[in-house]
Amino acid sequence: MQPLRIALAQIAPRLGLFEENLARHEQLLAEARAGGAGLVVFPELGLTGYLLQDLAAEIAIRTDDPRLAGLAAAAEGLSAVVSFVEESADHRLFISAALLEEGRVAHVHRKLFLPTYGLFDERRFFAPGDRLRSVPSRLGVGLGIGICEDFWHLAVPDLLALDGAQLLLNVSSSPGRDLAATNEVGLGTATSWRTLMRAYAQLTTSLVVFVNRVGIDESIAFWGGSEVIGPSGRPIFSAPLFDEGLFLVDVDLADIRRERISLPLLRDERPELLVRELERIVAERAGLALDEPAEVPG
Amino acid sequence: MSGPPGRVPGAVPGAVPGEVPGAVPGEVPGEVPGEPALFELPDELAIDTDIARRVIGEFIRAQLDQAGFERALLGLSGGVDSALVAFLVAEAIGPERLLCLLMPYRTSAPASVADAREVVRRLGCASELIEISPIVDAFFGRDGEPGAAGPEGLAASPVRRGNFMARVRMAVLYDRSVTWGGLVVGTGNKTESLIGYTTIYGDAACAFNPIGDLYKSQVRQLAQAIGIPEAIIRKAPSADLWPGQTDEGEAGFSYPVLDRLLYWMVDRRRSPEELVALGFETALVERVERMVAGSEFKRQVPPVAKLGPRTTGIDYLYPRRRPGSARR
Repeated sequence: MQPLRIALAQIAPRLGLFEENLARHEQLLAEARAGGAGLVVFPELGLTGYLLQDLAAEIAIRTDDPRLAGLAAAAEGLSAVVSFVEESADHRLFISAALLEEGRVAHVHRKLFLPTYGLFDERRFFAPGDRLRSVPSRLGVGLGIGICEDFWHLAVPDLLALDGAQLLLNVSSSPGRDLAATNEVGLGTATSWRTLMRAYAQLTTSLVVFVNRVGIDESIAFWGGSEVIGPSGRPIFSAPLFDEGLFLVDVDLADIRRERISLPLLRDERPELLVRELERIVAERAGLALDEPAEVPG
Repeated sequence: MSGPPGRVPGAVPGAVPGEVPGAVPGEVPGEVPGEPALFELPDELAIDTDIARRVIGEFIRAQLDQAGFERALLGLSGGVDSALVAFLVAEAIGPERLLCLLMPYRTSAPASVADAREVVRRLGCASELIEISPIVDAFFGRDGEPGAAGPEGLAASPVRRGNFMARVRMAVLYDRSVTWGGLVVGTGNKTESLIGYTTIYGDAACAFNPIGDLYKSQVRQLAQAIGIPEAIIRKAPSADLWPGQTDEGEAGFSYPVLDRLLYWMVDRRRSPEELVALGFETALVERVERMVAGSEFKRQVPPVAKLGPRTTGIDYLYPRRRPGSARR
């Protein structure tokens, strides 16, 4: 048994009110600790709210901001993932998520994929990150962090798992939409996310933690529905839609080993094949190589 | 009536397989054997009403909370749109925080006021009856006696008079928003907004609108789910500008057909050719395309001439509910 209690902080951040959101984070960290959690996960932009537009530059912090250090200190003895607008030394703004461990900022992931279509306008206000790393953790397993849209690109969970993550964390501010009665849970967005996350868990034989915010920014209702999915793709816990709450979920990390021994998909991955074919595709797309047709029989 | 029948069992003719939501198990809303269906709900427009009520409730509470208000008010016409919004607001914040204004003109159907009163009675919310006849007549004149508009006003067209009435109601609502201390809630639906069947700065004016992304058929579906009196759901939608006027009579098409057409046009991004291939009449498609394009100005904030380095709505972009925006 490698028991771990995960706290899903399905909160409704206040738009543009950093101090208020910070206080809420500290309060929930204390509650999670009292509840025996080892890992606490907050949603995308939990410290700032989502639909910031020009507020993004005003609410951005550096990763050495004393308020972030204070939060890390408040998370002492826990692993916590928190998200905010990060300003880099050269004044680019990123949607970032930090892993807080041992009282410090242990790792920062910058959102790689910024949706700028439909109701989204992220690329107008933010720069995309360009590094993806799994990180070791005090929990004894590697962690892989993605932010919302990052997990709408197959390569992200795949790379994280290949890089050593056994726990895939996605923190989101996903706007709920499409109320067609034919949807699995009455909400198109929720149906899509559940399908994707369960597939990632199964394909990477990893534990997947999805934390989505609730509440309203302007016209948009965020739908919550945070989940923990076992390495076989079986959902262990599904939080209610639209309800704010701190949800404690017990998992056994030894399940990951059992799944990977019985279903060695990751062992059988062919990263060198991936690299070779990707290099070819990139070269062809850039016009540096002739488009090589797939082999035609006869 | 033009266009294909509103309710096509199973699938839409010519639709791409897999794109049409599967049949909602053959249920006709409100159907009782031997009785006509309460209304017609095209399959692809059926929504999950529990989720809709939840999202709209959160939306209403957040709009008020973020603006620093606890109360709301709206104009209650006796029609299904404003009745539904009244029910939704009462469900979200409690009927004691809602004020409904009944604002009939002297030619308004008496049944409209009676239906509005029934909504107020069922909700137990505050209400006020304000006759707008003296205001409207003072402008256009009455019985050959000219008003503020001069002699010409006596011959004003029904459209001018209707627009004026809508804007008087808006002015009354915004005055009462001060005395009641609440925000004005919009009651326009997606169908009328898309075709421009609204008065700009009249019925379209509001602080926020909980049902502006619901087609008329979906308004009826939600109205039934939340318990609006059947008579209100069943009666023909009308701007009630003159006796016997109905939306469908005036526009020349039925809401279920129009809703389906708009759904495939707007939400499913079908081209005019594809819409015709789906079974809609060419003339209807062309007409509705024109109505939607021609009313774009009603749905947007007016453009400001770009002159300075930073211009509101163009490159000065803040959420309405930014820190400090709430009433203190």
